[in-house]
Amino acid sequence: MFKLIKYEFIKKYRLITLILITAVAFNIFLIFRGAEGSLLFLIFSPIVLYILYLVDIIKMYGDDLNKKTGYMIFMTPNSGYKIITSKLLTAVLEGLGLLFIYFLFFIANSLYIISSLGGYIGLSHVINEINSFFSGNIGYQFNIVHLFLFLLTAMVVLIAFITTVYTAITIRKSLFSEVKYGGLLSFIIFVFINWTISWLSDRFFDFLSITTYNNNFEFLIDTGRFLPDTFYMFLLPIVAFALIQIMVLAAFSGYLLEKKINL
Amino acid sequence: MLIIKDLSKKYYNKTALRKVTLNFEPGKIYGLLGPNGSGKTTLMKVVAGLHKQNSGEVLINNMELSHKTKAYVSYMPTENFLYDSFKVRDLLKFYKDMYDDFRKDYAEELLCNIDINLNYKIANLSSGQVGKVKSVLALSRDADIYMLDEPLNGVDILSRDTILDIIIRSYNENKIIIISTHLVGEIEKILDSVIFLKDGSVELLGEVEELRQSHQLSVENLYKEVYKDV
Amino acid sequence: MTLIHAKEGDQLEFNNNIPIYLQVIEKIKQDIVSGKLKPGEKMPSSRDYSYELGINFNTVARVYKELEMEEIVFTKRGLGTFVTESTQLIEKLRKNMAEKLVEEFVSGMKQIGYTQEEMINFIKSKNRIERNE
Repeated sequence: MFKLIKYEFIKKYRLITLILITAVAFNIFLIFRGAEGSLLFLIFSPIVLYILYLVDIIKMYGDDLNKKTGYMIFMTPNSGYKIITSKLLTAVLEGLGLLFIYFLFFIANSLYIISSLGGYIGLSHVINEINSFFSGNIGYQFNIVHLFLFLLTAMVVLIAFITTVYTAITIRKSLFSEVKYGGLLSFIIFVFINWTISWLSDRFFDFLSITTYNNNFEFLIDTGRFLPDTFYMFLLPIVAFALIQIMVLAAFSGYLLEKKINL
Repeated sequence: MLIIKDLSKKYYNKTALRKVTLNFEPGKIYGLLGPNGSGKTTLMKVVAGLHKQNSGEVLINNMELSHKTKAYVSYMPTENFLYDSFKVRDLLKFYKDMYDDFRKDYAEELLCNIDINLNYKIANLSSGQVGKVKSVLALSRDADIYMLDEPLNGVDILSRDTILDIIIRSYNENKIIIISTHLVGEIEKILDSVIFLKDGSVELLGEVEELRQSHQLSVENLYKEVYKDV
Repeated sequence: MTLIHAKEGDQLEFNNNIPIYLQVIEKIKQDIVSGKLKPGEKMPSSRDYSYELGINFNTVARVYKELEMEEIVFTKRGLGTFVTESTQLIEKLRKNMAEKLVEEFVSGMKQIGYTQEEMINFIKSKNRIERNE
C-alpha cells in the first residue's frame, strides 16, 4: 500500500511543484498591488487550487483505467481493493498537503495585510496569535475542535464525491466495457449514482429525524451564525453518511477491479 | 504451468476468442501466431488479468486467475505502457518495489550491454529503445510465465536481434515463454512450438521442427499457407 | 557470460525450411571433419551454444542427443559434452560426407549431360586454376 501511494506522488510531484511555484509567483505579483491584492489571493487561490486538485485526483484514477500506462499498476500483484484504497489515501494526503500549504499562504498574507494596514507585528506577537489559535477560542464560542471537525467534514464529503466518480469510471471499464457510447454512459452512471445517494441520504437524515438539527439549521440561516453546541449534531451525521458511502462504493469498485475489469 | 480451457471473450462488436483450449509446459518457448485481430493480444491480456473472459477457465500453477496469479506472470504489452516522465532508472526501482522476483542487477547488466543509459528519460527514447527496455523489464523478472506481445513490432532490425538474444538468455527449463508475433521468419529459430490463431480459434498447433519436417516448409511459409485467404 | 554483441564470428544462417537441428548437426560434423573441432575437445554447453547460435535451447539439446547416439560426441557426467576421440570414427564421418557430396555432384553433372571423363577433366582443370590463384 505504501509503495503504491509512494509512486502516485512520484508521478505527480513535478506537476504539484509547478503549480505551487506558479501560486507563489502569483501571490508575489498580487502582493505588489497592496493589501487588496493579497486578500484577492487568499480568496481566489483556494478556489483555483481546489479545482486543480479535483481534476488531478480524478485524472489519477481515470488515466490508470483508460490509458495504457495503467498497465504499470494493474500488472502488479496488487488486489483491486488495494489499488482503489491507495488512490483514495493519496487523494486524502494530497488534500491535506494542499490545505497545509494554503495555511502557510494564509499566515504570510495575513501578516502582510496587518502590517500594511499599520499594525505592528513582532515575532512574539505572531507566536502568541498562533498559540491562542491552537489553544482554543477562534471567536464567538468556537474553538479549534470545531474548526477541525468542519475541515474533517469537508474532507470526508469531498472524498465521498471522489469515490463516486471513481465508481462511475470503474463501472464504465468493467460492467459496461463492451457497450457503445461508454463516455456518455459513464456520465449517466455518475448522475444516477449521485441521485441514488442523495435519495438514500434523505432517508438517512429523515430516519435520524433530529429536530434540533432542523431547528438549528433554521436558526443558523436566521442569524447567520453557528451555535457551537449543535455543531456536532449538524456535522457528525454528514460525516457518518459520507464514510459509509466511501466504504460501500470503494468496496464495490475494488470488487469490480478484481473480477470484471477490461483495461 | 498454464492451462487454458474453453476460453471465450466477446467485445461489443466482435468475438475475440472462441473456446480456446491450450496447455503450456515449462521449458518451452511458444510462438503465438496470427494476423492482427486473430485474438493473440486478447488471450495474453486475459492471462495477465487485464481483461476478464466471458467464459472458460485459466489455471496458473493450479490457481484460478486473480491478482495473486499476476505474481507468476511477467507480461509485456505491445503498447508503450511506460511512464513518460520516468527515467529508465526509476522504472527499475518501480519493478523492484512491485515485484518480489525482479532481478535489478540482471536488468542493469542487460541494459548496459545494449547501450541503454539508466538516466535516459522514457519520453526521449526511440521506439526501438522502448521495445528493448520493455523486453528487459519483462524478462528480468524471475517469473514462471513470460508473455511478450509483439516484442519485435516497431523495432529496427538490429534491435530485433538484441531482443531475441535477451529472450534466449532468459530461458530456462522451468519457464514458459510465450511470444506473439506476425513477424514469423525472424523469430521461428528460437521457438519450440507454435500456435496459429485464426479469428479467435486455434487453427493449427505443433512442434516447430516436426512441422518443418512434415510440411517441408518453414514456419513462415506455413504461416503464409494458413492465412492466405485472410 | 559474454556481452550480447560479442558473439562468435561464425554465426549460421539457417534455412528455415529444413529442421534446424539437422542443420546444426551438419555444421558440427563439418567442424569435426575439417579439424576446427579437435578430437576430445569440449563442446559448449547446450545453453551457451543455443545462445551463441541464437537458436532455441531444446533444439541444441536435441542436436547433442542425436550426435551422442551416433557416438560423435560423448558426455562426461558433470563435466560436459566432448568430441569423440576416435580418429577412426572421424575418418569414417569424413568419408561419408565426401561420398554424399560426390553423389550430389555426379548426379547434378549427369543431369546437364557430362560424361564421367568430362567430369574428371573438369575437376582437374578447375583445381589447377584455383592453385594458380
